[in-house]
Amino acid sequence: MKKVLALILAMAMALSLAACGPNPAVSTPAEDEVWSSTDENGNLKLTKRDDVGENGMVTTANVYATMAGLEVLEQGGNAVDAAIAISYALGVCEPNASGLGGGGFFNIHMADGREVVIDYREVAPMAQDAYTWLDETGAVKDNGNANHIGGLAVGVPGTVAGLEYALANYGSGKLTREQIMQPAIDMAREGYKAGGTLVGAMNDYYDYMVTNYKVLGDYYLKDGMPYEVGDVITNNDLADTLELIAKGGKDAFYKGEVAQAIVDTVASYGGVLSMEDLASYEPAIREPVKGTYRGYEIVSCPPASSGGTHIVEVLNILENYDMKALGVNTAESIHLWSEALKACFADRGAFMADTAFTDVPLAGLTSKDYAKTIYEKITDQAQTWEKGAPWDYQGDSTTAYSVADKDGNIVSVTQTIECFWGCKIAIPGYGFIMNDQLHDFSTDPTSVNKLEGGKKPLSSMSPTIVLDAEGNAFMSLGSPGGLRIWPAVAQVISNVIDHGMNMQDAIDCVRIYDRGDASGICYEPAGENAPTAETLAALEAQGHTLTEKGAWDLFFGGCQGILFAEDGIQGGADPRRDGKAIGF
Amino acid sequence: MNKKISALLLAGVMILSLAACGSQGSASSSVDPSGETVGLTEAFAEAPILVTSGGQSADYQMVGTLMGKIGMDYKISNLATSADLGDAKTLIVVVGGSSKGLGAAGIDADGELARLEELIDGAKTAGLSVIAMHTGGEARRGDLSDKFIAPIFEKADYAIVVSAGDEDGLMSGICSGAGIPMDSIDSISKVATVLPAAFK
Repeated sequence: MKKVLALILAMAMALSLAACGPNPAVSTPAEDEVWSSTDENGNLKLTKRDDVGENGMVTTANVYATMAGLEVLEQGGNAVDAAIAISYALGVCEPNASGLGGGGFFNIHMADGREVVIDYREVAPMAQDAYTWLDETGAVKDNGNANHIGGLAVGVPGTVAGLEYALANYGSGKLTREQIMQPAIDMAREGYKAGGTLVGAMNDYYDYMVTNYKVLGDYYLKDGMPYEVGDVITNNDLADTLELIAKGGKDAFYKGEVAQAIVDTVASYGGVLSMEDLASYEPAIREPVKGTYRGYEIVSCPPASSGGTHIVEVLNILENYDMKALGVNTAESIHLWSEALKACFADRGAFMADTAFTDVPLAGLTSKDYAKTIYEKITDQAQTWEKGAPWDYQGDSTTAYSVADKDGNIVSVTQTIECFWGCKIAIPGYGFIMNDQLHDFSTDPTSVNKLEGGKKPLSSMSPTIVLDAEGNAFMSLGSPGGLRIWPAVAQVISNVIDHGMNMQDAIDCVRIYDRGDASGICYEPAGENAPTAETLAALEAQGHTLTEKGAWDLFFGGCQGILFAEDGIQGGADPRRDGKAIGF
Repeated sequence: MNKKISALLLAGVMILSLAACGSQGSASSSVDPSGETVGLTEAFAEAPILVTSGGQSADYQMVGTLMGKIGMDYKISNLATSADLGDAKTLIVVVGGSSKGLGAAGIDADGELARLEELIDGAKTAGLSVIAMHTGGEARRGDLSDKFIAPIFEKADYAIVVSAGDEDGLMSGICSGAGIPMDSIDSISKVATVLPAAFK
């Protein structure tokens, strides 16, 4: 009887809901069967993120962006073409994390042996300097927020210039810019379903969207409230802007009406970005930073990112130990990761900055002999680490995705607008969000990473490619997550090489983080290979402070990776966010 | 059987003690002797309304937006103290901890808790009705948010909770134990449905 009543009640509720009529802001997506990162209870799915392909693989932070990349590959484009399509698509369906108003690093390994990192990191406007944000007492203005919220946080965006360079120099030449950008344009116009991570970001930053940054709310709120998981979001202004770029290339963004709108809008929020800053922006073309780990070659991101350098440094330190024998997330292995990460972070703070403005001991930091000096200082007790002496070894020599095509071309990209929703400024009429990349400068005017006009702020982005001993593609991976990026990438590499995990297991595996501050070792309390209570007790006995974060917490990044394995090309995506891998 | 009688007696005592508080707007509910929460049975609250945050997440602003949509008049202040109560007859505290929000507000968690205790105590002394809400679901649970839940819910006359945030029964346990009527809703948008029923 109760069941019958419940059924009648449910039917009545369904009828009453239907009677409310469709919300004009929410439409039914044409492709209702698109995979969702979120289950029926609103929780991120922990399974089915991975795939295996024979002819290629795309893995990104959002299934719609993954499909955009596949579409381009299926049309005959190469991995670079697909990566460009993905970058633009992520700016549509993951607007909180990257887009036209941001920048990033594009790590390319071509099948013919060419290797390059396109650094399209933002640069500081020429009119800003190390004192821009500081009041007369030396404190950061606006209650400490001026360096990451509002106009003075905005760097000159690099995304369009970087992707244009990639297309002109490494694209297949088989597809036009319009063809490559069409999936992103279609998605912006026809809509995509909101995933759990995006909805979470809307909720977390709702206060900005309804107060000082209402244009952002105009684009990313529905009737004044955050979207719910599964709602369809469109952005016709962004579609129009993408069409302008598709037809006019780089100049359509850095000159003319779009550039003027950027300058005017940023100025209305107190910024000083100029038309000259935009017109003069060029990506930096760099050689990747390289190292080896147990016979595999690590090819990653050089400054203005610190990430690749410190991935090599931390792996060089850990290579002195039998990590396989020590096991996954045991007290012994976590202790070593903690000490090695802290030593690297001490070096990062002391030495790393834009190499156009500062001499950086890159060869020393990536030297195995220098790593040996750190190894020799590690004991069985937790230590406080200070910078080492990498100059003595100079003579020795924030969404992430990966694409691999059938010809062996590989691209690993990490791009960002810095904090979620960047500096919170959306460009009215154009539909994109400006970065707060200047947040990555130190606010200390004496720091090696102080703000200077035209300078790139130090990054941790680490799009990384790993080659086997014969120089063949072995793995491609990257992660968002701020300072946690390169520790996350290094741990996933170790999980594969040291512990023989497949790509998805290596990504799923619980990660730790320790930058040498008061939080000590940050860890996930549950998940795959989570540390046991005994392990945590042993670490405390060694003098470590422990900080429990959530299980499957996006604090630890959101790694996407590709592994060339015997069973095919494995793609893995991180359940800590909305990622999805699809092969073909 | 003895347990049921004890529960009934306890519930009766609690109802009497709540009534003795003399709050002009205590909510009415029939306390379920089984220990389950009971929804609101009749209107008890009155305007003017002051809305504040309990932990500095943006949830209080979402509740404000929803109230505005249905024409409810209210004032909103994320850092309100008892000095800001003015002529308010109902205080709504929307609980949800946010490190980002605390930082932006220039207050730490202990300071926020002290502010809330002072505000709620002031409201109770002045005879205001207090409505506690938790609308952020699972995302607004954890060490930081949980710090604010008991101190606020225990002093509420009525509670509204998005059920995904109460899967462990923390809030329903507080409410059922204290005889506080509580309505569970499946999403924050349903606040617009249940909240007006609390007002005379």
